[in-house]
Amino acid sequence: MKVGLFIPCYVNAVYPEVGIAAYKLLDSIGVDVNYPLDQTCCGQPMANAGFEKESTRMALRMERLFKSYDYIVGPSASCVAFVKENHPRILEKAHHVCINSHKIYDICEFLHDVIKVEALASEFPHKVSIHNSCHGVRELHLSSPSEMNIPYYSKLRDLLTLVKGIEVFEPKRVDECCGFGGMFSIEEPEVSICMGQDKVKDHMSTGAEYITGADSSCLMHMQGVIERDKLPIKTIHIVQILAAGL
Amino acid sequence: MSTLHSKAAARFIKNRAQELWHDETLWMVRAKRDKMSRSLPEWENLRNLASAIKMYSNSHLDTLLQEFEMNAKANGAIVHWAKDAEEHNQIVYGILKEHNAKNLIKSKSMLTEECEMASFLKSKDIDVVESDLGERILQLMNLKPSHIVLPAIHVKRQQVGKMMEKELGIEKDNFDPTYLTHSMRKHLREKFLHADASMTGANFAVASTGEIVVCTNEGNADMGTSFAKVHIATFGMEKIVPNVESLGIFTRLLARSGTGQPITSYTSHYKTPAEGCEFHIIIVDNGRSNILSQPEHIKTLNCIRCGECMNTCPVYRRSGGYSYTYFIPGPIGINLGMLKNSKAYSDNVSACSLCLSCSYVCPVKVDLGEQIYVWRQKLDEIGVANKQKKAMSLGLKLLMDRPKLFNSALKFAPIVNHLPRFIVYNAANAWGKGREMPEFAKESFNEMWKKNKVK
Amino acid sequence: MSSKEVILARIRQNTKQRYEMPDLDIDAIIFPDKLHTFIEALKAAGGEIYLLENEENVNQVIRKLYPKAKHIVSSLKEIDCATSNPDRFEDPRELDGTDVAIVKGSFGVVENGAIWLTKQTRHKAVFFIPEALVILLDKARLVNNMNEAYEKIHQSEAYDYGVFMSGPSKTADIEQALVFGAHGPIRVTVILQ
Repeated sequence: MKVGLFIPCYVNAVYPEVGIAAYKLLDSIGVDVNYPLDQTCCGQPMANAGFEKESTRMALRMERLFKSYDYIVGPSASCVAFVKENHPRILEKAHHVCINSHKIYDICEFLHDVIKVEALASEFPHKVSIHNSCHGVRELHLSSPSEMNIPYYSKLRDLLTLVKGIEVFEPKRVDECCGFGGMFSIEEPEVSICMGQDKVKDHMSTGAEYITGADSSCLMHMQGVIERDKLPIKTIHIVQILAAGL
Repeated sequence: MSTLHSKAAARFIKNRAQELWHDETLWMVRAKRDKMSRSLPEWENLRNLASAIKMYSNSHLDTLLQEFEMNAKANGAIVHWAKDAEEHNQIVYGILKEHNAKNLIKSKSMLTEECEMASFLKSKDIDVVESDLGERILQLMNLKPSHIVLPAIHVKRQQVGKMMEKELGIEKDNFDPTYLTHSMRKHLREKFLHADASMTGANFAVASTGEIVVCTNEGNADMGTSFAKVHIATFGMEKIVPNVESLGIFTRLLARSGTGQPITSYTSHYKTPAEGCEFHIIIVDNGRSNILSQPEHIKTLNCIRCGECMNTCPVYRRSGGYSYTYFIPGPIGINLGMLKNSKAYSDNVSACSLCLSCSYVCPVKVDLGEQIYVWRQKLDEIGVANKQKKAMSLGLKLLMDRPKLFNSALKFAPIVNHLPRFIVYNAANAWGKGREMPEFAKESFNEMWKKNKVK
Repeated sequence: MSSKEVILARIRQNTKQRYEMPDLDIDAIIFPDKLHTFIEALKAAGGEIYLLENEENVNQVIRKLYPKAKHIVSSLKEIDCATSNPDRFEDPRELDGTDVAIVKGSFGVVENGAIWLTKQTRHKAVFFIPEALVILLDKARLVNNMNEAYEKIHQSEAYDYGVFMSGPSKTADIEQALVFGAHGPIRVTVILQ
C-alpha cells in the first residue's frame, strides 16, 4: 500500500508543522508514505470564488503527481473534499477521467476507516474542543451532521480518545460554520468575522484550552480572530495531537 | 470586493445587540426543529419521499395540473391560469371588479409578494388588508417581510407598540406581546367581518381531489374565508401534489421544519365553495416552467417554503432578511432570485460560506448550497463577476499552475511577516478588519522535504 | 392560444426527464399508549383536555368549564346547554360574540394532537369565531400519525371543507413570544368520551 501525502498550498506555506505531523503519524504506524514534490493547490479557492475552470490544470497536475499511489492522504478535509467532489466534474470537461477522487482520504478518515487504528502512542494532557468543519462533516461525513436524524458518530472524537490524558469537548452549535469559506472571508468580511468570533466563543465556553479539527483553513480563520481579540484559547490541527510525543 | 449584500450585512451587524438577538432567536427555531425531527425515526425517509414526490409531480405538471383543474371544477370552483405576474394581478382585479369588491382580506402568500399584487391593487383603489399578524404589523409600518415564515422577526415589540399607538390608538407604552396581539385581534376582527373578498395562497394543491390546503397557526386564512362572498386562492404551479396520501408526508415535514411544531394549528382543506359564495383558484406559472428546462436548478421547485434554510443559514442569521436584494432572502431566495433574473440579483450570491447546512436541513432536499456554487461559476459568463475576485483567482491560478514560481514565492513569503503593520492592515484589507494575518513559515513543507528535514 | 394552453405547452417543452412516483409505504411511528401520547401532544399545542367519565353529563361539564359563557352555540343533538343553533343564522357574521361553540371531531392524530374536523354546520365560521371551542371526540378514534390520518380521510366520505386543528389559534410574530388567540379561539377544550 503506497500512500502519497497531499499537502495543500496553505499547509505548505503556513503550517508545515501540520504536514510534518501527518508524515510522522503515518510513518509511525507503518504506512509506506511519500510526498510527491512540488505540489501547489487543489484549485478550491478559485472554484469557490466562481472560477472553477481555472482550476483544471491544478486538477490535472494532481492526477499526474499521484498516479502511482494507492491512496492519497491529506491533513485538510476541505481540500480533500474538493478533490473528491469537484475534480471529477472539472476534469470531465477537459476529457479526463478523474482517478484521484476514488483514492483520496482526509487523514482522519484514512486512519479511522482504512487503517482502523485502535491504539496511539501519543499523549496530550489538555482539554480540547472539536471543530467539526463544514466540508469535513457535510461532504466527507467525518461526523454525523447536526441536521440529520441519524445516530451520533464522530471519527475525530474516536481518534482523539486514543490519546492519553486528553479531555474532549464539542461546542453547543456542534457543526456551525466558522465563517472562513475561502474568498467569502474577504467578500463578506463583517459576516465572516462575526461568525468567527461567535464560533471561537462557543469553543471557549466548553472550557477547552485548544480548538482542534481536521481543517487548517478553519483553524487559521479562528486563529486570526483569537490573535486580534487576544482570546485565551489556542488552535491546533488534530494530527499534531495524534502525533504528539512521537 | 463588496456586494450590495455584504454592505447591507455590515450595516445590520453594526447593531451587534440586535444581530445577536436575531441570530440566537433563529437558532432557537433551528434547535426546535432538530428536536422535532429527532422525535421521528422515519425523518430521513420522509425527506427522501417528499423529495421524490416533488420530483415526480414537477416532472408531470402537464397532466397533474389538468387533473387538478378537472376535479376543482367538479367541486364547483372556478379555475384560472396565469402565465405571469401581470396576468395574475389582472385576474384578481377582474374577479374583484365583477363583485364590486372594494376591500380584500388576505392571508400570507409569497406568490402575491412575487407578483407585487398589493401595490397593483392599491393603484386600482382596492384596500388590501394583510391578516397574518406579522404581515399586518409590517403593512402598517410600511415595511416588507424579512423572513418568509417569521415576517417581522427583525422588528422589536417596542416598535410594534409605538406603531399601534399611532395607527390603532392603543394604550401608551404597553409593549406586552399578549396585549399587542389581542389588540390586533380586535382590529382585524372588524376587517374579517366586513371584507368584500378574501384571498389565500396554497401550501398544497391536490390533483386527485381538486382541493387546496392552507397551513396557518393564527387561523387567519380560515377567518378570512368564513365571511366574504368570494374566496380567491392562488398558487404557483409547483405547489401541486398528486394525491391526498402525499399530504401525509408533507404535513409531517412542513411545520416541524419551519417552526419546530409537530403541525400548524390549522391545516385547512378547501374543496367546495360555501353556500352562496364563489371559489376562484388561480394556477400561476410566472417563470416556473422556465426552471423546468434547467436541470441543475430544477430542485428549487421542490421548495415548500418552510423557511428553515433561513434559520439554519449562519449568514442569514447574522445579516437579516433586508440584506438580500430579492424579496425572498436566505439560501432559497439567493437561488430563486438568480432564476428570476440572474443579472439583477447576483449580489446575493456572495451571501454564502458554502457550509451546506441548508441542503442538509431542507425537508424536500433542495440542494441549495450546491446550486449557489453553480451560480458562482456562471457569474463571469453573465458579466457580473467581481473584477477584484476574478483578478485574485487568475493571479492565484498563475501561481499555482507554476510550481517553481509557487515555491520561490514561498521562499520570499516570510518577508511579508515583517512588513509594517499599516501595510498589512490597510483599509482595503478585508481580512484585517477583525483578524490577524497568519504568518508564513520560515521554510515551506516542500523545502523541508527536499532538505530531508521531514522525519 | 389560451393561457392554459401556453402554460401547458411550455411545461411539455421544458420537461426534460420524467421521474417515477415513489411508493408511499412508510414505516411511520406508532405509539404504544395512544391516548396518553395524544393528550400530551394536544397539551403541548396549547389545548385543554377533559376525560369524560361514564356517569358524567357533557352539558354540565361544559357549563362547569365555561361558567361565564353567555352565548353558546352548537347544532349537536346531545348538546342542550347551547343558547342557539348556529344553523339558524343566515349570515355567519351573526356568530360574532359567541363565547363557546361545541362541535364534533372525526378523529384525533396522536403524533401532533390535531383533530380532523369537517364542516358540520351551515357556516364554517363556527370553528373560528368563538372565544372558545369545545370539541367532542371519541377517545377510541385516534390514529398514530398523519400518514394514517390521510389514509383514513381518503377512505371516508366526502367533505366540503375540512381542517386539522391542533390547539387554539396562536402566533409568535412579536419577538417569538407565544400568544394564544391571534384570530381564532383563545381556548380549545377537547372532551374525550
